[in-house]
Amino acid sequence: MAREKPPGLINWKSVKFYCLTGSKLSVSPLRPFLLAALLLATPATAQDQPNLTIYTYDAFAADWGPGPLLKSGFEASCGCTVTFVAVNSSIAALRRVQLEGEATKADIVLGLDTSFAAGARATGLFAVHGLDLSGLALPVDWADPDFVPFDYGWFAFVYNRETLPSPPASFEALAGVDGLKIIIEDPRADTPGLGLVLWVKAAYGEHAAEIWTALAPHIVTVTQSWSAAYSLFLAGEADMVLSYTTSPSYHLIAEGDRRFAAARFREGHYLQVEIAAVLASSPHPDLARKFLAYLVSPEGQATIPTTNWMFPVNPKVTLPQGFATPLTPEATLLIDPTTVEANQRAWIGEMLDAIQ
Amino acid sequence: MSRYWGRIAAGLVLAALIASLIAALLLSLGVASARFPGTGAPARDVGHLFRTTLLQASLSTLVSIVSGIAIAWALDRVAFPGRNAFVAVLSTGLVLPALVVAFGVVAVWGRAGWINDGLLALTGARLPGTIFGLHGIVFCHLILNGALAARVCYNRLAAMPARKLKLGRSLALGPLDRFLALDWPAIRAAIPSLAAVIFLFCFTSFAVVLTLGGGPSNATFEVAIYESVRLDFDPGLAARLALIQLAICFVVIVPAAGWPLGAALIGRPPTLPHWPDHGPARALQIATIMLAALIFGLPMLAVLAGAIAPGALATLASPAFATALATSLIVATCSAALAIALALVLALARANVALIAATGVPAGWARLLIGAPAFAYLAMPALVLALGFFLLARLTGAAPDAVAPAILVLANALLALPLAAAILGPPLERLSASTARLQRSLALSGWRRLLDIELPLIRPDLGYAAAVAFCLSLGDLGVIALFGNADFSTLPWLMYRAMGSYRSADAATVAAALLVLTVFALLLIPRLIAGPRHVDA
Repeated sequence: MAREKPPGLINWKSVKFYCLTGSKLSVSPLRPFLLAALLLATPATAQDQPNLTIYTYDAFAADWGPGPLLKSGFEASCGCTVTFVAVNSSIAALRRVQLEGEATKADIVLGLDTSFAAGARATGLFAVHGLDLSGLALPVDWADPDFVPFDYGWFAFVYNRETLPSPPASFEALAGVDGLKIIIEDPRADTPGLGLVLWVKAAYGEHAAEIWTALAPHIVTVTQSWSAAYSLFLAGEADMVLSYTTSPSYHLIAEGDRRFAAARFREGHYLQVEIAAVLASSPHPDLARKFLAYLVSPEGQATIPTTNWMFPVNPKVTLPQGFATPLTPEATLLIDPTTVEANQRAWIGEMLDAIQ
Repeated sequence: MSRYWGRIAAGLVLAALIASLIAALLLSLGVASARFPGTGAPARDVGHLFRTTLLQASLSTLVSIVSGIAIAWALDRVAFPGRNAFVAVLSTGLVLPALVVAFGVVAVWGRAGWINDGLLALTGARLPGTIFGLHGIVFCHLILNGALAARVCYNRLAAMPARKLKLGRSLALGPLDRFLALDWPAIRAAIPSLAAVIFLFCFTSFAVVLTLGGGPSNATFEVAIYESVRLDFDPGLAARLALIQLAICFVVIVPAAGWPLGAALIGRPPTLPHWPDHGPARALQIATIMLAALIFGLPMLAVLAGAIAPGALATLASPAFATALATSLIVATCSAALAIALALVLALARANVALIAATGVPAGWARLLIGAPAFAYLAMPALVLALGFFLLARLTGAAPDAVAPAILVLANALLALPLAAAILGPPLERLSASTARLQRSLALSGWRRLLDIELPLIRPDLGYAAAVAFCLSLGDLGVIALFGNADFSTLPWLMYRAMGSYRSADAATVAAALLVLTVFALLLIPRLIAGPRHVDA
């Protein structure tokens, strides 16, 4: 698929805190009192216009995330109300829909990634999107009938240029640098953690275990979340942290901090594509599809780079000044979802055995 | 005898309700598993995870209790102005979000922490090794729980009956004999429930263990539950793993619930002059207090220092912060009130069981039945609670958003319940023994006795229990992971979200605000409830 100049930064999936709820911040000072009232009464429900309910991870719906912009943008023309229900992770959003089954209020689940696509499809809860996605540009060909990609990014080790002037350029080089410390995330509890397992597998196949064994002495700790890992890295506890190629763009654009960079590995980088899908049980499937079309339109995609810090899928969007440069398709690694679904436990086991 | 059974029955009913809730939470996952069969395969290294978790929790409990006793012993002997404030400030570790404390520990002891920075500047070398590993987990758990142990043991020593002290003094007991003959028996009775609470907190600790553990060889059992929910959705397996965890934790729950509280060792606060030790013992006591101040205080200072950044004021002035603050205060107030009410029911029931036991009727079974369910709730993994509460809420037919605040209040109150009951238990047991006769002679109803006699007399303990319950709730946001209320945020949640969005400066500011709020609550709430005459308690 032809790809122009994608924009992008970081990915938020990691933002989720597994023991937390998610939700958007609203500004009403009365909210606490309304909250107290909620204990006693059920809130008023939608009126005459249809309500489009979207389950997503909390950072997507945060004040500074894409949610509020997408909501106001879509509501301007849809004659509907958009409600983001933010749970603590995209997987929690999927699990919630699974538990609710046919009775779910959700019309759309937004924010899963390709590692979980096969499992999500197997639930049978999702409907064909029916959109023409030929105008989108991703580093891989996309022809999925159910899932609409809305942004993407590559996993990478982020480092501080001042303290690590010459970063390693491959897993093997990393393993060979004496005393170099990295922080990674647990694949059982966190999406980037699973991404790293897939990355090493895609790059090294049956030699993955050897790479993990070589990496083991460099691992400071294996955190439960991207946030904990990244915070420890920022606190100076490691030389590199598993994050995204777009992480440095956040520091540059939002903070004016040029110190951070993502190490380029010659094995290539594993791709994460975030996806959205309409539920088969949705009472407004047409409205839901319209939202997905809006989500991937130039207008909807323009929100993505500096709110979700990922690359937009629509080539008509211009990346902001200072944004990370997208990697080439040749530098992109991705394992198909069915293979991931079938093997992830074994691969995680291999990783744990090697570094334990 | 029958007059005792009203309160015992109330305690048994409450305990049965809590047990039913736990059963319903597990059962709801079991029922759901019919729809989501999963692979049925347990996590690959479940045995290893249990061993490491057991080791970590046992070590953490042991270290916390021993340190707590040492600090309590030192505090009892060395009088200094602000002693109680000192204990209150130490207690903040218990009630802050664990991740905040873990980051405070790293800021002090980490590779780029204060200690290493100082050592590098002075000697050109760093500490050997790192803070990551089993020792890091245990150390952080000590900071989280050691001060609680100190506080509970110190209360025991401070309530030493005057006649015992008088006797000890007239015998001119040396420091060691004094500890063995007077202090240890008083402290010992408090240890089973204290140790159980700490063990259960450590056993279910997740963020601290993974952040500081240094890798999967120190991972915790709960990652197996994450695996069963995230990788392939297998709620049945999650429920079975939770049951195993519960079964293991009964090893500490049974002695904690069944052990008598030793209320006979509690007396009126002595009116005797302060009785300090002398010589090496006193030097050791002063050193202990200074060391405790450093170990417990430095990470908290680091958390505060983290807030010193441009933009901190803007964060504190933002509407999102104000809303989260108000929500947190409301939720914490409600859960503290609920926790205290439930703890009173349990503690009063246990007090009457003690009265019956004193007449020679075997009553250990009642003590166990009343106490065990509240502890068992602490042994439930957070993820299973989240799933279970979500499923149960759906059964009620209410919108998840609408019930989320109520469930958060209930979940937090139950979290604080064993601790609150452990704080209120001993003084109530002592009071019941003395007021039972009064009640009979005055023909007081149980309610009048509670309102007119018992509650006024235990106000200091009520104050401390309420403060701890309030702050535990303030620092927690455990169970509403799946509820996703769009209009619901608390301070810890605000902090976690900011952290997850590269906004580490905002997160640090909120963490520092939480710390200040917690210290403030720990100092203020006991005063509010105990009244000015009791501030010392």
